[in-house]
Amino acid sequence: MSDELFVVDNLTVTLPTSRGPVDVVKNVSFTVGRDETVGIVGESGSGKSMTALAVLGLLPRGARTSGSVRLDGAELLGRSDRDLRSVRGNAISMVFQDPLSSLNPYYTVGLQIAEMYRTHRGGSRSAARKVAIEALERVHIPDAARRVDHYPHQFSGGMRQRVMIAMALCCSPSLLIADEPTTALDVTVQAQILELLAELQSTTGTGMMFITHDLAVISSIAQRVLVMQSGDPVEYGTAEQVFSDPRHEYTRMLLDAVSRIDDEVLS
Amino acid sequence: MTRYVLGRLGGVVLILLAVCLFTYLIFFKLSPDPAVMICGKTCTPERIDSIRTVLGLNQPLLTQFWEFLSGIFAGRDYGSVHCSAPCLGYSFQTNESVWSMITARLPVSITVAVGAAVLWLLVGVIGGLVSAVKQGTWWDRSAMGLALGGVSVPNYVLALVLQYVLVVKLQVLPFPSAVSFVDNPAVWFESYLMPWVVLAVGYACLYARLTRSNVIDTLAENYYRTARAKGLSGALIMRRHALRPALTPITTIFGMDFAGLLGGALITETVFGLNGIGKMAADSIAKNDQPVIMAVTLLAAFFVVIGNVVVDLLYTALDPRVRVVSA
Repeated sequence: MSDELFVVDNLTVTLPTSRGPVDVVKNVSFTVGRDETVGIVGESGSGKSMTALAVLGLLPRGARTSGSVRLDGAELLGRSDRDLRSVRGNAISMVFQDPLSSLNPYYTVGLQIAEMYRTHRGGSRSAARKVAIEALERVHIPDAARRVDHYPHQFSGGMRQRVMIAMALCCSPSLLIADEPTTALDVTVQAQILELLAELQSTTGTGMMFITHDLAVISSIAQRVLVMQSGDPVEYGTAEQVFSDPRHEYTRMLLDAVSRIDDEVLS
Repeated sequence: MTRYVLGRLGGVVLILLAVCLFTYLIFFKLSPDPAVMICGKTCTPERIDSIRTVLGLNQPLLTQFWEFLSGIFAGRDYGSVHCSAPCLGYSFQTNESVWSMITARLPVSITVAVGAAVLWLLVGVIGGLVSAVKQGTWWDRSAMGLALGGVSVPNYVLALVLQYVLVVKLQVLPFPSAVSFVDNPAVWFESYLMPWVVLAVGYACLYARLTRSNVIDTLAENYYRTARAKGLSGALIMRRHALRPALTPITTIFGMDFAGLLGGALITETVFGLNGIGKMAADSIAKNDQPVIMAVTLLAAFFVVIGNVVVDLLYTALDPRVRVVSA
């Protein structure tokens, strides 16, 4: 493994509820190296997304965190919102599940990429626009110079997710958090997006934290895997080990659920 | 886009024609005979007949309607009197030209509407915004409670209470009078202040609640979370990713409300004795002054229909999703 870029150490997230505080993430630890993809797997409600939001300080109001989250050795937990702004989108950026609702329908995709670039890097509008066009070209959006002025609803689902990825990578972050980036897409488009992410990672060296409930997706992209169940980390290891020799009952159950479908197709 | 605009304007003409026809039928055909009304107490059958001839009441209905319509665009003759375009006839009560009555009173109604609109937009939108940002706090709860109360208070009650307290008891404001802005800006402002406030309170409360719920909905949107995850500054997130989406639907409602008010704020103008279109409407209905009723109805319909088109066109500029569909 390459050297550790990103370390999550004993992260616990507590949310206030009407029946008192509830730990939605409990003592989660994992690391992401440069160039490496770590998959976080679990069913909905297992705390995957909360882990991601905690990293960027985007948890709902009233949430409390403990433990440690470090990027290049610098602690992120407990920093002020203002302080974290320079990290968000810049050193760590995020791609969300539903690209249509995650992009603002009132602005062109170009503006939405450019506003982020200018926030972190400054420069003129026209320079940022050029960056936006280049970013769209990098994710293989045809006719990027024209498409940059289009609105999100004028793109197909897969193209929209490419826009989200282009935006996430425009400031060359060292860590990319992809939260179910392929879940809202159909299977062929899913494969294209995964291919794109792998390709971009190989050229930029960005570390990636890939959140999904889909084991098939994880097996094709991740080097290490963390399995979560209702906030608890139940298994953590290399992808090979987790898939071929699962130690935990829950992981075995998840894997069985996938292979059972295959069995039926084969028989 | 040009085709869309032309189509909408064509629709406007049709709607106004229909409004014209219905108003005409209701007020001229179903009401008491205008000739008898004009004739008064010392009336002879011959006078009624001559009035009928002058007003064209002995013509077939469609001919009368056509005379009325063409009068608006080309003017018409009543016996030896020429009524130049735009001719909406003469008041049965005062024999004044209805068109000149309207042009004299419209500025008052516009002043009332514009002042109130500025007030309710400022108070309503800012109040709603602060409530949304401070959702669930003491401020939010009291502001929204107040807004609920404000919506429930009828205009005329508020108007009378304000008049009693500010004019009669405390004597901090004069009773509203028709002073032009040019003659005495200070008195002009003081005169209109109460009507503005009375008219604005209900709308401001409504807009505050509307703005609050729109902003809260927007803060829960995924794109708002994206904007935060992008590390944008708080001001930029608020302006682009919260306010713009939250306020766009409010322009629709504002356009309609404002257009409706241009046709006269009936209660407010009447209570404060302001000589606007609203008071003219109330007076004409009370006295069954048909040409005036007709004109006031048409004017209100005109503003509402035009307001509707303006809002729709504005919306295509404000919401890109609408723009592409209509183009």
